[in-house]
Order: sequence, then structure tokens, then C-alpha cells
Amino acid sequence: MNVVVNPVEAIRTTHGTIALSHLDGQIDGLERFAARGEMESRAWVELVDLITLRAQILGRIADYERASLIAEQRSEVAPGDGLAFLSRARTRASLHRFAEAMADLDHAAELGQTGREIEVDKAAILQAVGLYAEAMTIRRGIADASPDFEAAGGLASLYADIGDTDAAEQWFDKSSLRYRSVSPFALAQLEFQRGHMWMAHDPERAHRWLLAAWQRLPQYAQAEGHLAEVEEALGDRHSAIARLERLAAESDDPDFAAELARILRDAGRHGESEQWRSYAEKRYETLLAWAPAAFADHGAHFWLSVGGEPARALALARINLEVRATPKARRLFDAALAACANTAIARSA
Amino acid sequence: MSDHGAGPRSIANPEIDITDVFAFPSPERPGNLVLAMCNFPFKEIEATRLFFSDALDYRLRVRPVRVSTTGPNAAFAVGEQECFFSFTFDVPKMEGDRMVQTGVCRGPMGDLTLRVGDEAGAKGNGVRAFAGCRLDPFFVDQLFSGGMRMTRKIPPVTGINSVEGQNVLSIVVEVEHAKLFGPEAGPMVAVVAETATNGSFRARLDRVGRPEIKNFIMMDKAADSVNRDLDIRDLYSEEDGFKLRPDYIGAYRARLNGSMAVYDSLDDKVDWPLDEKGTHPLTEMLLADFLVVDMSKPFNEDGYLEIELALLDGSVPKTCGGRWVNHDIVDSLFTILINKRNGPRISDGVDGTAVPGSKTFPYISRPNPMPPKLAALVGIPT
Repeated sequence: MNVVVNPVEAIRTTHGTIALSHLDGQIDGLERFAARGEMESRAWVELVDLITLRAQILGRIADYERASLIAEQRSEVAPGDGLAFLSRARTRASLHRFAEAMADLDHAAELGQTGREIEVDKAAILQAVGLYAEAMTIRRGIADASPDFEAAGGLASLYADIGDTDAAEQWFDKSSLRYRSVSPFALAQLEFQRGHMWMAHDPERAHRWLLAAWQRLPQYAQAEGHLAEVEEALGDRHSAIARLERLAAESDDPDFAAELARILRDAGRHGESEQWRSYAEKRYETLLAWAPAAFADHGAHFWLSVGGEPARALALARINLEVRATPKARRLFDAALAACANTAIARSA
Repeated sequence: MSDHGAGPRSIANPEIDITDVFAFPSPERPGNLVLAMCNFPFKEIEATRLFFSDALDYRLRVRPVRVSTTGPNAAFAVGEQECFFSFTFDVPKMEGDRMVQTGVCRGPMGDLTLRVGDEAGAKGNGVRAFAGCRLDPFFVDQLFSGGMRMTRKIPPVTGINSVEGQNVLSIVVEVEHAKLFGPEAGPMVAVVAETATNGSFRARLDRVGRPEIKNFIMMDKAADSVNRDLDIRDLYSEEDGFKLRPDYIGAYRARLNGSMAVYDSLDDKVDWPLDEKGTHPLTEMLLADFLVVDMSKPFNEDGYLEIELALLDGSVPKTCGGRWVNHDIVDSLFTILINKRNGPRISDGVDGTAVPGSKTFPYISRPNPMPPKLAALVGIPT
């Protein structure tokens, strides 16, 4: 894609206000029908998928909890329904319960669920746990059979995780050019992934894509949170704080409060920093009790940073490494280990 | 199902999905042409929460058309001149306790600003335009239509409208016909509707002329002599309805020939003999996939396909043609395809919606405040 073209203008999508109105309306409608016992199995999958999508966009942990609850209950009520296990696999994967999610996918296949739907979910799990070669085989197969937006986007995210940014860029471009919809969600998520990939390598490029994701979908909390992080890295601390203050106040995800606390501390605003740090800590405690694997990664980052407890960070980084042996998880573990060693040295000194 | 979910792209993205197109002389004001399109099916959402996309250009295109030949090779000649009505919409804003959306209709007589849902519509320069949520005017028993394709038999009638009570987003334009192309253009017009992206990258996402071309006829791959593993409908929807590209025309022909031959066989007699190349007599006429309205004739509720069939028969059309909102095109099309009207009417047992459209602007009935749950079958290819 030509770098001088604003991606949001190049491929226009429906404004977030409209798209979220429809998303909320669909979820409310399906919840209503579910309460009246009028739902068939495919609609249950749709309901769980829509709630999870809203969770991802708005950064709403309560939606992850709701999706998980529905999927767990549904698999108990309909033990012979492959779709119920497909759905549960997705919610479990979203909470980083990857081994259980993979077992659910296998069970769904035994119950007759086959085809691309299962394969895409398998590839996502294999990728998440760092089995990149296995994930690549599946994603390549899907892209060869159906070279569409989703298939190209899957390959882009895989190359991004592997660290091959050149290949990832090519697939991000291909994916965008294959978009034939006006829904903002999938494209904003693709742009977010692209920006996320560049955060460690090139903050300017990261900024471009995170800004695109946020402009495309201003309600996309995760995109705005990472955009704030990049803005701060690029020297615009004022904007970063403004964004994070709003996100931290509106979202039940503690990541925004944690990041805000860090930036405020670095800015010398220790009182405000402590308030947000304390809020984030309590919230992480609650979430770790509910879904330890899901929040081990972010919890470790928190206690390694503004949380100020390297030993706690190390314990969580170990859990994270156990559920997904990715290079990133290894780096987090190593950083926590080094921080603990430094703390020990400091104490002994 | 008319053009609801007519292809993988529309199934995945209902907001681009054009479900129906209508074109007819105004029953209220002779000399006026009415054009309408419906979009965004299968949304079990309160009517007040359904909005047009601000990223789409909803377009009704009109061209003058004349008859070039009659008889077995009957065909229309579509003029190069074109008028179109392009609708774009803003992001809704809060007004009091509810969201309000506005839009613009750009047409040959100028622009009209309209408020979505305003029953009176916007008026100016001989044009009246409406946009808003309405009751889906289409009706079909999908068990019947899908069952026919699955079993290769005429199924028993259950008579349940599969989309009863569902809403769609509708756009209606009424225009003085004489102002479109001038007096020398003749009385006949051809009409298609499109949805297209409106960013710097432009792409046609859906396109509809006649109902059920893509679903009843193009969805069935089994009788296709060329492509038996290709859902051809997305390709077809990308085409300019007034000028199909030569690239895929052979594939479309093969699909129509095979599928329509199957319909013709359902009553165990041949009413539409294929020629030596295997071409069905209706194929070329239906691939000219636009509604044809003769504005020299008065409003007629049952004009659908009448002009086309008369021309193929070598006779003189008697009606205005086009398509009226309440016409039972499912029964009409099945009867034409299966027995060429040489036998009994083939009916799915559903003859209308619970609230048929009225003969006053905007013609399509008010929306259902909260649509009911759709049956599992609806929207899934059968």
C-alpha cells in the first residue's frame, strides 16, 4: 500500500458509532432470544463471537467473562454439539487456556465440525503457543485454497510474531487490498496488529498504524492504549496521559491504569501515579484469581514495572512461559529473572 | 430469497447486501418513475438502532433502453446515457434521547438532504426521496424454495414466510420521468441498484437487477457444465449490470443454462427446450440483468417480466413491466421456469407479507419495532 495514502481514507469503513450500535443491537437481540429459549446452536456461536468481539474492541473484561460463561454453559447443555465445543475453544483460547482450547477443537472435530473454521482456530492457537512451523502449514494451506482478507491477515500476524517484518508487511498489504467489506472491525484489528508489530522496532511506523486503527474505530480501546504508549515513546507525553486517563476511567481492563501510572511516575506526578498503580494492582489481583493464564503476561509486566515486585513478576512470567513458549514470553521471563537478580544484588549491597 | 445473502460476501457483510430492487410507474402520480432498493437483511435489531453505513454509496442507476430484437433472440439495447441517484449518509448524532441520521441524495436534478426515517421524505426539483428502516417487503417460504433445489422436486407447501417481520433499510426515489433523459429517449428505462465503497479506493460490492437471479438460479452448482465448485455470485455482483465483462460471461451462461434446465424438468416435461449448444431460451434475456419499465403504460401490479416474456414470444408487451413492491415474484418465477405458464401456478403458499406495501409514497411498509428471531434456515445457503 502506498505509504503516503491515509489508510483510513483509502479504505473507508462504517463509522464506529454505527458499527457499535449494530453490534450492541445484535448482542441484545440474541441475548433476548436466548433467554426465551429460541436459539439454535449456530446462533449461540454467533452470540459468543459477537460478545468476544466487543470485548476486544472496547477492552471490556466483563464481556470476556460473559462470553466464557455462555460458552462453558453451552458445552454442558449440549455435549453432543460440535459447535458448542468450537465456541468454548475460542473463549478458552482468549483466556490463554490453550491446551484446553485445542482439546475442545479436537472434540468438535470428532463431533463433525470440520473445515476452515476449525483450521483457523487451530492455527491461531499453535501460533499463540509459539509452534510457528505448524501454524504456518495450516495458514499457508488456507491462503492457497482461499486467498482472501482473513487468510492473508492470518499469515501477516504469523510473520509478525516470527519477527519477519518484511514478509509480514507484504501480507498486511495483501490482506488490506483484499478487503471487500465496510465493517470497521476486522480492518482496524489488522491495522492494530501491524502497529503492534512495529512497536518494538520502529515507533514512527507503529504510530501510523495504531493511529489508523484508532481513527477507523475511535472506540477501539486497545488500539488507543498502545497509541498512547507509542506517543509517549515519541515524546508526546501530554497526549498519552490524556488518552490513558480516559481509558483507565472507562475500562475495566487494568492495563490502561498500569500504563498511566508508569507514565505519571516518569513525569514526576507521584501522587496520581500511586492512585492508578493501586487501582491497577487490585484489579490485576482480581483478574488473576479468575483467569491466571490470561493475565499472567500483563500482570508480570505490571509488577516488573510500576508494580515494583520483581519476584511476583517472575512467578507470573513463569506461568506465562509455561502456557506459551514464545520468544516474547521468554524475553519477559528473562527480564523478570534479571530484575530479581538485580534486586537481590541491591539488597545485599 | 430475492437477493438476500446472495453470495459469501453479502452473507459475511449484510450492510452491503442489496436484498431487493423495485421500479414502477407511480400509482399516485402518473408520469413519475419510482425506484427503490432494500439493504441490510437478517438483523434482529430494534428498528431505531439500524443505520445506513456512512462508508457506502447506495446507488440507483437508470438508463434509457429500447427493444433491439424480438422473438427467440429478443434483446434490449441499453443506451449509454445514464442518470443515477447516489445516496450517502452521515454518522448519526444524538438528538434528545435518540440517534438521528441524515443523508444526501445526489441526482441529475441536484442534491437533496434528507433525514433518515422521515415518512414524507425530501422533495425538490421534481424528485422525492426517502431513506429509512422498513418492513422487509419480500416474502418466500425458504423451505419450499430451498427444498426444490435440494430434492429436485416440487416440495409440499408449508406457507411460512421465512422473513416475516424482519426489517431492512430502504431507499425510495420518485422522479418525473420526462426530466431524466428528455423526450427523444423513449418511454423505456432500465434500472439496477448498487452498493459501492465511497473511499479513495472504489469497489462495487453488490449489484442487483432482477430478484432471485443469484439465489434461485445461480446458487445451484450441481447442474453447471463448467464450474461445479464455484460460488459464482460474488463475481456476478461485482459486474456492471448494464455491461457484463466478457471475462466471466461463459461461466454465467453455463450456470444459468444448467440451473434453469433443472427447474424446467421438475414437472417432467420440457417447456424450455435448449438449443444445440445447450442454451436455455431465457439465459440471454436474464443476463441482461436489470428491471425494465415502460413509462408509456400505467402502473400495473403484475408487470414483472411481462415485457421480457412478450418479446421472447414475439408479441407486444401489455404492461409497464418493472417490479411492484407486493408482486409475488417467487410464484411468478417458479411458474415461468418450471412450466412457462403452460401449467398450474407453482406457489410456495406465501402470497404477501403481513403488512403489504401501500400505493402511497414511500410504498414500503413501516418497520417492525423489534424483529422476531429468524429461523435457523434463513440466510444459510440451501
